[in-house]
Amino acid sequence: MSWLHRLFARRQMESDLDKELRFHFESQVADKVRSGVPETEARRLTRIEFGGIEQIKEECRESRGTMWVESIMQDLRYALRLLLHSPGFTITCVLILAIGIGATTAIFSLVNSVLLQPLPFPQSSRLVWVSQKDHSVPGVVPESLSYPDYFDWRAQNHTLEGIASYTGSTATITLKGDSQRFDIQTVSSNFFQVLRSSPMIGRGLSWEDERPGNRTVMLSYSFWQSQFGAEPGIVGKSITMNGHSYRVAGVMPKAFQFPIENPSAVLWKSIADEAEGNNPATQQRGFDTLGVIARLRPGVSVEQAEADLSVIAGNLARQYPDNNKQYSSALVEPELAHMTGDTRPALRVLFGAVSLVLLLVCANLAGLLLARGSKRSPEFALRAAIGASRAAIIRQLMLESILLSVCGGAAGVALAPGLIEMMLNLMPVEIPRIENASIDGRVLAFVLVVSVLTGLLFGAFPAWRLASTAPAKALREGGRSLAGGRMQHRLHNGLVVAQTAIGMVLLIGAGLLMRSFVRILNVNLGFDPKHVLTSRIGVPFDESRHNQHYFLYQQAVERIAALPGVQSASAGWPLPMSNSTATVSFNIQGRPVAKGDEPSESLGLAMPGYFETMKIPLLAGRAFGTQDGLTGQPTIIVNQAFARKYFPHENPIGKHIQVGVGDDLFDHPVREIVGVVGDIKHKGLTADFDPQYYLPYAQALITNAYLVVRTNGDPATVQAGIDAAIRGLDKSVPVYQTSTMEEYLHKSAAQPRFQTFLLSCFAVIALALAAIGLYGLLSYMVVQRTLEIGLRMALGAQRGDVLRMIVQRGLRLSLSGVGLGIAASLVLTRLISGMLFEVRPTDPITFAATAALLVIVSTAASGAPAFRASRLDPMKTLREQ
Amino acid sequence: MKTEDRFDLPQGTLDLLVMRVVALGPIHGYAITQRIQQMSREALQVRQGSLYPALHRLEYRKLLRARWQPSETGREAKFYELTDKGRAYLKTETENWKRLTDVVGLILKGTLEGIS
Repeated sequence: MSWLHRLFARRQMESDLDKELRFHFESQVADKVRSGVPETEARRLTRIEFGGIEQIKEECRESRGTMWVESIMQDLRYALRLLLHSPGFTITCVLILAIGIGATTAIFSLVNSVLLQPLPFPQSSRLVWVSQKDHSVPGVVPESLSYPDYFDWRAQNHTLEGIASYTGSTATITLKGDSQRFDIQTVSSNFFQVLRSSPMIGRGLSWEDERPGNRTVMLSYSFWQSQFGAEPGIVGKSITMNGHSYRVAGVMPKAFQFPIENPSAVLWKSIADEAEGNNPATQQRGFDTLGVIARLRPGVSVEQAEADLSVIAGNLARQYPDNNKQYSSALVEPELAHMTGDTRPALRVLFGAVSLVLLLVCANLAGLLLARGSKRSPEFALRAAIGASRAAIIRQLMLESILLSVCGGAAGVALAPGLIEMMLNLMPVEIPRIENASIDGRVLAFVLVVSVLTGLLFGAFPAWRLASTAPAKALREGGRSLAGGRMQHRLHNGLVVAQTAIGMVLLIGAGLLMRSFVRILNVNLGFDPKHVLTSRIGVPFDESRHNQHYFLYQQAVERIAALPGVQSASAGWPLPMSNSTATVSFNIQGRPVAKGDEPSESLGLAMPGYFETMKIPLLAGRAFGTQDGLTGQPTIIVNQAFARKYFPHENPIGKHIQVGVGDDLFDHPVREIVGVVGDIKHKGLTADFDPQYYLPYAQALITNAYLVVRTNGDPATVQAGIDAAIRGLDKSVPVYQTSTMEEYLHKSAAQPRFQTFLLSCFAVIALALAAIGLYGLLSYMVVQRTLEIGLRMALGAQRGDVLRMIVQRGLRLSLSGVGLGIAASLVLTRLISGMLFEVRPTDPITFAATAALLVIVSTAASGAPAFRASRLDPMKTLREQ
Repeated sequence: MKTEDRFDLPQGTLDLLVMRVVALGPIHGYAITQRIQQMSREALQVRQGSLYPALHRLEYRKLLRARWQPSETGREAKFYELTDKGRAYLKTETENWKRLTDVVGLILKGTLEGIS
């Protein structure tokens, strides 16, 4: 710390130095006087002998090693004074920087919160997501595990400390006579141990809780707070869920949540109820529904665990070919990577785009500094002439730019929370952990590094440029040089070309996304989403009450259809865009295959009137009617893609299919194809039309169907009527997930909308900055070449010639930038090809339109300086220069 | 003044001369120039611009230490003296110097004879 100490003792040192030299001086004078020289003469001589006393002092300071810190402080003070002296320039720079750094900070905080923050569990790096690989389809397709598979993996592995299962669902929970539908998770008893999370109160789950009859739940903190008034005596009491009683074993701490998704589970129930009944889920090997998370043993790698589990999967595939034939190996990946896998490409692209914006900001500021620097070149020439080293000048200039960029960074940080807020409002809620985005220590450190790097980057060129000016030349020219030097021009031009090129890349990216987004919005859905309200009703699932379940649905649909403003009503599952799908295997009669080789396709359920209500066209045969009820013949309807894939040259009507799904009344019956309907987008707006088949809901009561209601006017107006109708039927049946079909579509388009919006924002910023850069360069050029322009005009050049000369100059630069940008885009847009829908990354229309836009904007930006140049009064100019 | 006889000191030699003078006892800057002038029989005149940076450098390197005390004229002056580290440094450097001059002298002597 000695230099720091000395820095603060500087005043003392300065006065000592002064005193010491003064003593020397006086002694020398005294000696001269003693040898007979008159005092005034002695002083004069001594002063000559001493030379520059300030220089001696400076060298003494330097030899003390405090020089470095001191001169930086000095330079900093000077830089600050200078920036305060030209507030217009400073504010412009800080604003431009604030936009660049603010946007970068906001995007980084998203990346930080979603991708970089560790999972909120102890030693979370050892948590892995586990599934089995489906070898029947190309690519890496993971498949959930069934309970029997999970139990075997749990018992036989050698590499895991623990492996737990979880499945999400909704359940009707009755509290004080009021039934409501909630999101819950069904978890294996070691679930909390694997995550290393202990209950806040109570004991947690034990192995016993997996046995039939031991129905147990763990409550989430928020559910305990909101529904039980944080009653500590809740442990050991019972709650009613789906009409059954569950014992509360404990409450999890506030911070605990898993899986991390929206909406989050209100409670975690043990798998005891899955083990009950005649054909319990825990014994169905083909019933692949489990999410699985595991904790690696210390020192075990993901690959080792995958190899270990693959051995087990391979054995199971041989042992149970009917169900497991295609699942002969395991897939293991770090839980964090799995959770954030889908969002990573999009965030990476956004981060890349915002980095380009920042780069553009750097080029822009470098241009500004360069122009300003040439005004200051006499100042630095003077400094160089009186002894400032080149390094000192560069240091001074770099400090100025870093000071600027740090100010810009601070302004950017101030701007960032607003930007984050705005992005979160636009953000698809499906991205886990995104709502936690904030400015934390890591983000601040990032901003600091980015700010300093930005300052170094945009300051380096101008500083190097200025410091290498020959002092004599700069002094001679006295700041009104004819032209700022060929080198400087080339540099400045290069900066403008670079800005245009970067702007071009961003604009093309945004243009492609925009075109793709328009395609997404106009995609043929195969059904009509307008004026459709959908809702789910929590009718209990109980084998004993099979008929009542269906009757209740029938009555509900009848009553709702009778409501005023309702055109038609029905029910079906899965609702398109609702993210629920099921793929079930089947066999076609007359085409025998081994059980394990059976094809499987998407399953749908429909009540009579479903296709009509959704306006899914009937292409052949008939739709479901009352004859396809509980007592009718088992029937099935397929979509066009299904018919094309499995009956390419035949009429599918009348063919027979046996589907591997059933309930207690219809246990895997052979069904007759009675109709063919049109294809619909059901997995997402950009998904392909997949083969799909529909079963009559009455003949496959396996999940709660969605009510679909087509209305005459605004669908929201019939919501109250639906609620009343259901309440009138059965008070214990909750209505939930009420939403219009268009809201589902809106959500489905959320991710592309978000990406398109953000990239467009960046592109607009880029376009504006590139235009400002070009405008700045040309304005500067006009000022620099005033004399030349004046001369030309005096020699007979017309105003039009001058105008053309400047605009041509601007166009030449922007065309170079456009060319460079197109070349870069041809390579770079490939990175966003995964985000594009029905638009090629090299879409010529987008490229051409973007180029045209840039040329138009460049011409406009060149216009003002060109006009100013053409208005110059040649006589006045020549007189002044 | 004998400025016409001044010659450039080899790099680092000034430090050695200054330390040699300081080794004789606490002494201030002005006296050091006079002493060097005397000891070199007026051949060497150390300029203030070289002396003070050297003194400060040596002090910074902890080879010298300084304290303020009254001079012969009664005015306060900054007196330098050797530290232990400085003493050891001076010893080794003086030996090095002697070896160097011996060797260089040997060679230069031979060359002169060859030329004449």
